[in-house]
Amino acid sequence: MATTTAAVTLTSDLMSTNMSVSASTTCMKAGTTADGLDQMEYGYLDLPTGDEYDLIATTPTATKASKLYLKNHSTDETYYVAITQNAQAIGKLYGGDWMFIPADFHDAAGDIAITANGGTNKICYALFHEGTVLVTT
Amino acid sequence: MATTTATFTLSSTDLLSDELALSTTCTLTQTTTSTGVEDTTGLNRKKITSTAKGTASGQVTLYTADDFAAIPYLYIKNLATTAGHRIYVYDDTTSGDPIQFQLDAGDWGFIPMHGDKTYKAYASNNPTSVEFMVTGKDQ
Repeated sequence: MATTTAAVTLTSDLMSTNMSVSASTTCMKAGTTADGLDQMEYGYLDLPTGDEYDLIATTPTATKASKLYLKNHSTDETYYVAITQNAQAIGKLYGGDWMFIPADFHDAAGDIAITANGGTNKICYALFHEGTVLVTT
Repeated sequence: MATTTATFTLSSTDLLSDELALSTTCTLTQTTTSTGVEDTTGLNRKKITSTAKGTASGQVTLYTADDFAAIPYLYIKNLATTAGHRIYVYDDTTSGDPIQFQLDAGDWGFIPMHGDKTYKAYASNNPTSVEFMVTGKDQ
């Protein structure tokens, strides 16, 4: 099986003592600890303003595991990308911000849509999954 | 000014034909500024005892709408160790309580939120422990 590890470390001097939180996970298929996600989709692209776009071209299979990493590489801190899942707003990524979400992108409407604000945003994304529904030509 | 950073590391030696290694760090700032975030809920660890959304008790509120000014950053981890013991995060503000994220045992997530929606969690198994923290600017 493929072994893909995703880790986060949060550090801060917000509190009276320094804070550090770390978490790491091996990206697994749904409901197992023995079989890792073995498919991925990766992209780096310019996102123009004006319309909402589907980030994921193909739809991950329902009830399967998916993990999405998304980063806004814009250097202007006023630029942001609005993110919706299943038509519900779930987050905003300003220039430099990133997100990592485990989710069930279960159908064409249930995947991730993104909208650029402020100007053309540069984004990078990686989707780890265990199968997608390919779109016929 | 406080400095809070979030570093993401992704690695695999066998998913692709070549090694995959990605690391990125962002400094958590107040919206459209370079000023660092000032407030945090601190790290929480709670037991989720509800196995459905919309029931009277047992769900854990991760974030209450408009508690922080945009953008609040949510860190969440499912502390379960048994595969299939999932945590479901749903939007309690929107009609129908749509599920936003699903975390299997050991999964974590980091989400810069809009901040105007209440997020709650229920689990597939009772109890399931969750660890979470919100960082941002209180209002």
